[in-house]
Amino acid sequence: MIELRNVTIRSGAFVRKGINLTVPKGEYAVLMGATGRGKTTILESICGLRQVQAGQILIHGRDVTDWNPGDREIGYVPQDLALFPTLSVQEHLEFALRLRKESRAAIAARTRELSRELGIEHLLKRSIIGLSGGESQRVALGRALSFKPTVLLLDEPLSALDEATRNEMHKLLRQVKESLGVTTLHVTHSEAESESLANRCLWLTEDGIQERPAQSRHY
Amino acid sequence: MNRQTMVLIGSGVVFATMLFLMNASNSTQRNRGLSDQAQEPLVVFCAASNRAVLELIRLQYENEFSRPIQIQYGASQTLLSNIEVSGTGDLYLPADDSFVELGLAKGLLSEVFPLATMNGVVAVRRGNPKNIQSFSDLLRPEIRLVQASPDAAAIGKRTKIVLTEKKLWDRVEAATIAFRTTIVDVANDMVVHAADAGIVYDAVLKSYPDLESVQMPELHGIVSKVSLAVVTGSKQPQAALHFARYVAAKDRGLVHYAEQGFQITRGDVWSDQPELSIFAGSMLRPAIEETLIAFEKREGVRVTRVYNGCGVLVAQMKAGQHPDAYFACDSEFMSQVPDLFPKPVDVSMNELVILVQKGNPHDINSLRDLTKKGLRVGVGHEKQCAMGWLTQNTLRQGGLQTEVMENVTVQSPTGDMLVNQMRAGALDAAVAYLSNAAGSAEHLDAIPIVGLSCSLATQPFAVAEGSHNTQLAERLFKKICSAESKETFEAEGFRWRDPMPQGKQSVP
Amino acid sequence: MQDRKSPVTIPPSPKENWVPRRRSDTLFFLVMSGISSCFVLLIILLLVADIMFTTPRNFYDALSKPEIRAAMRLTVLSCTAAALLSVWVGTPLGYLLSRYSFRGRWIVDTLVDIPIVLPPLVLGLSLLILFHQPIFGLQLESTFRDSFGIPIAYSWRAVVLAQFAVACAFSVRTMRVTFDQMNPRAEEVARTLGCTRGQAFLQIALPQARRGIITAFTIAWARALGEFGPILVFAGTTRMRTEVLSTSVFLELSTGNLDAAVAVSLMMVFLAVAVLLVLRIFGAGLNT
Repeated sequence: MIELRNVTIRSGAFVRKGINLTVPKGEYAVLMGATGRGKTTILESICGLRQVQAGQILIHGRDVTDWNPGDREIGYVPQDLALFPTLSVQEHLEFALRLRKESRAAIAARTRELSRELGIEHLLKRSIIGLSGGESQRVALGRALSFKPTVLLLDEPLSALDEATRNEMHKLLRQVKESLGVTTLHVTHSEAESESLANRCLWLTEDGIQERPAQSRHY
Repeated sequence: MNRQTMVLIGSGVVFATMLFLMNASNSTQRNRGLSDQAQEPLVVFCAASNRAVLELIRLQYENEFSRPIQIQYGASQTLLSNIEVSGTGDLYLPADDSFVELGLAKGLLSEVFPLATMNGVVAVRRGNPKNIQSFSDLLRPEIRLVQASPDAAAIGKRTKIVLTEKKLWDRVEAATIAFRTTIVDVANDMVVHAADAGIVYDAVLKSYPDLESVQMPELHGIVSKVSLAVVTGSKQPQAALHFARYVAAKDRGLVHYAEQGFQITRGDVWSDQPELSIFAGSMLRPAIEETLIAFEKREGVRVTRVYNGCGVLVAQMKAGQHPDAYFACDSEFMSQVPDLFPKPVDVSMNELVILVQKGNPHDINSLRDLTKKGLRVGVGHEKQCAMGWLTQNTLRQGGLQTEVMENVTVQSPTGDMLVNQMRAGALDAAVAYLSNAAGSAEHLDAIPIVGLSCSLATQPFAVAEGSHNTQLAERLFKKICSAESKETFEAEGFRWRDPMPQGKQSVP
Repeated sequence: MQDRKSPVTIPPSPKENWVPRRRSDTLFFLVMSGISSCFVLLIILLLVADIMFTTPRNFYDALSKPEIRAAMRLTVLSCTAAALLSVWVGTPLGYLLSRYSFRGRWIVDTLVDIPIVLPPLVLGLSLLILFHQPIFGLQLESTFRDSFGIPIAYSWRAVVLAQFAVACAFSVRTMRVTFDQMNPRAEEVARTLGCTRGQAFLQIALPQARRGIITAFTIAWARALGEFGPILVFAGTTRMRTEVLSTSVFLELSTGNLDAAVAVSLMMVFLAVAVLLVLRIFGAGLNT
């Protein structure tokens, strides 16, 4: 589970205090709010890429507020995907496991499994330069899931895609949700996504994070 | 990942190889022909204009002596600044001796070896295509004249001074199309046809086969001296002086300078360990002996000294002994050998005093008191030493000669002997130098002789005309004129004559 | 919602009254290439003038002098060493300046740029003073020479140091720009995947910076080749020992050997061109 207790984050001149957020284990939560409110900043803080001024961050009950990003076992897919330009698709999928010094056989097996699940088997040897939007998304997702993280953070994963690809990705995310059951926090400004994917809907407003029932509409 | 680490290691290996290769060429330089670590290289800071000639001399020296010479080339002022900042270096050879004077004033340089002179001439392209023969030709409107800048270059300064005196500067300045920073730029301008005429030193033209010189009487007086100086802070002064003597020797280094078109000075004859002989009046011994020892050590030479009464010394010289230098007790005994020593310089003065036993038991207060009955008086021998001759003159001047001489029991050639006799009790009084008294102040008192000018002796120093070691002797003279030596003289009771204001050197 | 407004006058259908206007780009190209070619022409003329001033004989003579050969060897070795060192130092420094804002970053930034704006002679003099002035009673030069047996001033090490001092400033600049243009997110993602900062730098940032590194090396090498003032003051110009091609030109010039000076200058041009080409090819090859 993901828990933020009374967290204060500073972003430039902008300070947001008293952030409280809970995503119970195994649930798929969607975080919404108008653009520019600081949703990405919250994700960065959970990852450990941004220092919090006050408060605690807990992953599965452990206080990880002072931990390095690499120790938190979090899978992160940023908005611009940030793929590694000099590595091939296969190397992306193998990256995290190589760091953990897994055996060659284990890495090969996991890569096969993952690429099959995400439908990118045919792309393994390709460089990531020149991949389509949807293909890149899958690679980024695969990279984040390769080491079986306990938590998955997605920052506007579907915003930049065209309609057809978006639907595909939608299906894929649902598939991942159902098969892996990873605690997920998905940031978006689209309600359609929350409708189909979320167990839980969180809204970021002036006064903090509020939970709304999943199916409600908001004007 | 592997690729990155490979590149990192690879570049590290390449880097290490570079360092190794550079170091290797360095040590082969060092190990070549060197046996022991006493052969530290001498570092010479040399102006670029002297490069050609100094390289020739260096080759010859290294062959003869296997001591490596490391030469740093550059611009004279920059090199001097280097010496000042880094405190390293053994020798300095600038393009012009104005830098030597600067270095001496700052205390950076010690001994100076004049090597050659250069004269200012007009340079034109070979064949003199513009037919520049006389001074007025230079001022023709179509002639493009360049000069070195009077602010930046020594030749420019001298040209301006000389021509201003001759009231020609304004016209020349008006006719000059450009003032260049260095003399080499002036020469280069003519080679690339940017100018038709330039004022340079004759020696510089040796490296420019495309240029020739035109002598003009109006430029007479634009002279520069090339001198080699020893760096005061040198860690191997003896080695530095050895090489400097080599460069300045008329049968070694100066030969190359002459070949390269310089007008060389008269140098010493080369000797690996020269011997300098000096005749000096015995009263000078306490004043100069320490200086001589220090000089020997620093230069790595041997100084043979002969101390005696000046009369004796003169007799020896007339009989055929020719020392390299002569330091007389009084000018009278220098003027007896004018052919050998035409140019003496007064260094110090000494006065006669009456030496008495401590406490002055016989109550002697003037020369007159020496006539007291029963007194045993010692004086110097008139013929043998200046002291004696001066004493007689003084007694004559005082009108006491005959009477005092009656009491004289001893006439000796040196004041030291008189002092010994006094200390032994064989004499009651003696007329000797103040310097003799200074040496035995615990045992004797000195009574001044007032009012008689003859009692004052002036000591001149001179370098022999025909000596093979004139420059070495000149350097010894400079050492004798130094501040430390002056202190010694004054402590011994001499009066200083300030023979050489600081910073000036003479070229024989 | 739609407003009813008065109809806007619509111009007549283009196809009826269309007079084709064809404008040429020739003027643009003429002006641009005119300006550019002036500069290119100047460079060509300079080279031609040099080549015509010297003869092949002079060139060969200069090349066969052992001092020139030694100077060439030292030049190649020292420039390469200085350039490598510059890249080694410049890359981490450029990375730090690019990625991390710490208090006083602007000070470091300015300091690092000083060797670029400083007149080279001043740099050389400062190096000389640094090594010879007693700092807290310690004189750098004598410490190195006596305690470690490594003399610095007036040795080849001084040459490399003088070249490095300037070349590194350029290399830091280049690397900083390179990292600035790189998406920092990738390194951040790498960290979430388990990388330490160091691993993220080595495995993600560095490979992307390949071309920048080649550029930095090239610039550093070229700068080191042209370095002259600091070498003269700090390293001296002892032939066969600390003479490099740039100081050779100066020495030949100041003794009036114009022919030799031009010959050595041309040698430097050819050397520089050769190295540039090699690095170009190397850089291009890396892009596959």
